[in-house]
Amino acid sequence: MPEVEFTIDPATGKLEMHVKGVAGPACDDVAKHVRELLGEPGHEQNTSEYYLRPRVTPQIRPKSGS
Amino acid sequence: MSKYLQFPDILFTDRKLLLAALADLGYGTVEEGEGLSLFGYRGDQRPETAQIVVRRQHLGSASNDLGFIRTPQGYVPLVSDYDQQTLQGGRFLVKLRTAYSEHVVEEVKRRLHGTARRSLEGSLIKIKVRY
Repeated sequence: MPEVEFTIDPATGKLEMHVKGVAGPACDDVAKHVRELLGEPGHEQNTSEYYLRPRVTPQIRPKSGS
Repeated sequence: MSKYLQFPDILFTDRKLLLAALADLGYGTVEEGEGLSLFGYRGDQRPETAQIVVRRQHLGSASNDLGFIRTPQGYVPLVSDYDQQTLQGGRFLVKLRTAYSEHVVEEVKRRLHGTARRSLEGSLIKIKVRY
């Protein structure tokens, strides 16, 4: 299950975000929401998960009819 | 006379969340408009103007009005040096950023239709949102 871990430091008020469990650039969707609300981040780093290709499970459907 | 300081590095991008964060700190009454004048603690009109203003009556007897200027990037605080040192024990901007950050997390959770679990790790607030 995808998870976003936010860390707020009350000493500075700064917010950090770490997206987990999302392979590939799909985590950019979450980052987009945060960017809208916080502005451009001071620092941004993609984790190794970002460079993983999302796993696509092929589905074979039985032929319908006849 | 206390002068006003602008904090261009501190940006509040979302108006609604900024108002909610101000309310969390006890400043739920604000004025909004274009070019609202700021007034000092003696009622003297200052040259600075802002789009969101917390009037000094809601701050403290020696406080000056508190303003937020709208820029293309977001709202920038305009705080007198007196209030910068005294408001919320001299931690006004830090507390406002913390409250704003909490509202950002709440809004992201809402947009993702997620659930949140909050914990403390030392002095840090950790909020995990699953969606």
